Amino acid sequence: MSLSRRRFLTGAGGTAAALAIGAGCSTDSGPAGAAARPGSTTVPFEGEHQAGVTTATQQRLLFVAFDVLPGTQPADLSLLLQTWTTLARRLTQGQTAGNTAPAGGAPPDDNGEALGLGPNSLTMTFGFGRSLFVATDGTDRFGLAAKLPAALQDIPSFGSLDVLDPQRSNGDIGVQICCDDPQVAFHAVHHLARTSKGVLTARWSQLGFGPSSSTSTKQTTPRNLMGFKDGTNNLNGEDRAAMTEAVWVGASDGPAWMTGGTYLVARRIRILLEVWDRASLTDQQTTFGRKKLNGAPLSGSTEFDDLDLDNKDRDGVPTIPLTAHVRLAHPTTSGVKLLRRGYNYADGIDAVTGQLDSGLFFIAFQRNPATQFVELQQQLAHVDALNEYIKHTSSALFAVPPGVAADGWIGRSLFE
Amino acid sequence: MRRVAMLMVAAPIATLAACGSSSSTGSSDKTAHVLVSITDEGCSPAELTTPAGPTTFDVTNKGAAGVTEFEVLDGTKILGEAENVASGLSGKFTLTLKEGSFVTYCPGGTKNERGVLTVGPGAASPATADSTATAQAAAVAAYRAFVERKTALLTTDSKAFTDAVRSGDVDTSKSMFASARAPYEAIEPVAESFGDLDPLLDAREGDVPADQWTGFHAIEKHLWVDGAITDATKTLATGLDANIATLVALVKTVELEPAQIANGAVELLGEVSSSKITGEEDRYSHTDLSDFEANVEGAYEAYLAVKPIIADRASGLDTELSKRFGDVTDKLKTYKTGRGGTYISYTALTPADTRALADLVDALGVPLSKVAAAVA
Repeated sequence: MSLSRRRFLTGAGGTAAALAIGAGCSTDSGPAGAAARPGSTTVPFEGEHQAGVTTATQQRLLFVAFDVLPGTQPADLSLLLQTWTTLARRLTQGQTAGNTAPAGGAPPDDNGEALGLGPNSLTMTFGFGRSLFVATDGTDRFGLAAKLPAALQDIPSFGSLDVLDPQRSNGDIGVQICCDDPQVAFHAVHHLARTSKGVLTARWSQLGFGPSSSTSTKQTTPRNLMGFKDGTNNLNGEDRAAMTEAVWVGASDGPAWMTGGTYLVARRIRILLEVWDRASLTDQQTTFGRKKLNGAPLSGSTEFDDLDLDNKDRDGVPTIPLTAHVRLAHPTTSGVKLLRRGYNYADGIDAVTGQLDSGLFFIAFQRNPATQFVELQQQLAHVDALNEYIKHTSSALFAVPPGVAADGWIGRSLFE
Repeated sequence: MRRVAMLMVAAPIATLAACGSSSSTGSSDKTAHVLVSITDEGCSPAELTTPAGPTTFDVTNKGAAGVTEFEVLDGTKILGEAENVASGLSGKFTLTLKEGSFVTYCPGGTKNERGVLTVGPGAASPATADSTATAQAAAVAAYRAFVERKTALLTTDSKAFTDAVRSGDVDTSKSMFASARAPYEAIEPVAESFGDLDPLLDAREGDVPADQWTGFHAIEKHLWVDGAITDATKTLATGLDANIATLVALVKTVELEPAQIANGAVELLGEVSSSKITGEEDRYSHTDLSDFEANVEGAYEAYLAVKPIIADRASGLDTELSKRFGDVTDKLKTYKTGRGGTYISYTALTPADTRALADLVDALGVPLSKVAAAVA
């Protein structure tokens, strides 16, 4: 299915994650009534929740984390978030960041690298790290300590699975940029960084070249870099009840400023492809608990067959092994539901080993990381057969505040 | 040096006469002079009064051993300073002063470490017709005064350096290298407007064919890498003198406009970002922080020259620039802990040091890029 066709279907579905085609991109798509041009699709920026969570996964990710520079005042931060809100409002709706051809000797406000490409379903999703609220020594950096959500705790270590690079982990502010064109994603990050000079310094960034899970029933399930269909049983963004249960922070959860928000966990998971490539197909399939080619569970015959965790072969051995990833991660085993929204990455060559530095940039959204991602990962860390082939090389947790009203700005509920 | 041709335009020969007359009436005549002494007690006199406008502070150290610096502060921000004015020496700097009360500061003074500078109404009333043209002319005059001061310093300091090279004294030559080129780095955007002159003076290895490589960095390599002064080194030194003499003559002919001055400041910050912060400029001597300071000083003086215009038209921008310049210079000063008050070697900086400096330079660069449009 072509990209624009799929977007159209998603929009016609009239769901929570619907993508508007029409008014929002009319300036960019020519005469009214003309067929939508590839790249002209927009995702609404305003709403109860931020976009980029239940939105059907776009083709590209560029994630960037920033730290606040010493000497910055709370007023500088809220001003920056207002500037960024204006920027995100414009870019996601297919407008430029500002004047591309100013008169009178000023540099262009918009550098122009995304001119003519269209918004490509661009979403910009903003989150705040624990370090924004309290420094590691407990210092209240910006008068926000009293508003620190109880759920925004440091993610604990998962033992030898964690080979974390602190410089690639966490950060005061994280922004997830997703869209269907890598240059449009870069343009957004470039102008976020540009407008933050003097307030923020970029800490790390991660490029994802393709989604590793689908978040919509309208999407086919993509494959991860191990060649397996991943996220077949992922939550669907269209499933409002599941989103309310597992993803969105409710009014009773607290703190009040997070109502309608969510928590984003990001883990850079290096896949040891050289080791994986030497494993037999049988080993690969028992590691996942699925058949490689069609994605069916080992207990079934097609991709969307329910897992039959009780199914046993004639010798009484479970067809989905007790250590299989799909068994352990499944809600009936783990009791945990998450909205996964990760991307495959390739970051060149490991200089020490000459191996491919590639894998999964895992992203998951949830209502409470302690009882969801952390709980699940603690279960997986000790028994998941997949652990033989992966290393976690970065870790980040961000509190994603609720969406923005017509007169609102990102994080307003936190700063006001 | 820059690899890309400059936008600032040197005056064609035909307009030389006209420019000569404008500079002779423009720069020095409109600039007020304030005489200041540094004594062991501090700033003398402790109370100064002068009208608003371009002002040159002529600073003389009358025998003070413990005090070698005179600064003018707006609150805690340094507007201008004469540094390293040891006993018996003098220095000067030019500011475009606005009406108001400022602090003079002679660090280490026993009695008048701080004094008061009261700036009264300027000679030209702000209400007079064509105040924009007046303000722009004042900006050009102030910047021209700075450029002339730096070229004068370049002439003497580089001559002292080349004399040391010609004497064959490697250690003395090395000790004078950074200060000899600092005045050049402060006015580089102007110097770069003269086509081939910048490569002749400041090309790095590989920028030009090896057999045509001359200037500061060619000598730098002889001193630090070869560790020896040969006849070829001495020839380079004499060539440097000649090229600097040419530069000094040409600078008097350059036509300046406030927007160009502002763009020159942006270019200087660009130099800092692209080659000083990375240690590429002085790759043998590692004296990059000295160049860094000179680039920032040049940008700051350009800003000060146009500051009266920005302060009128975009006071928020002016406030931010003042803060951001202060942040960079304050941070830079913390690295001035080498022998004799020089900067530490670039190689002594940690990655965290360079990152902090880079963040501050970037923070300054964004508002600075908005100045040209504000003063045009």
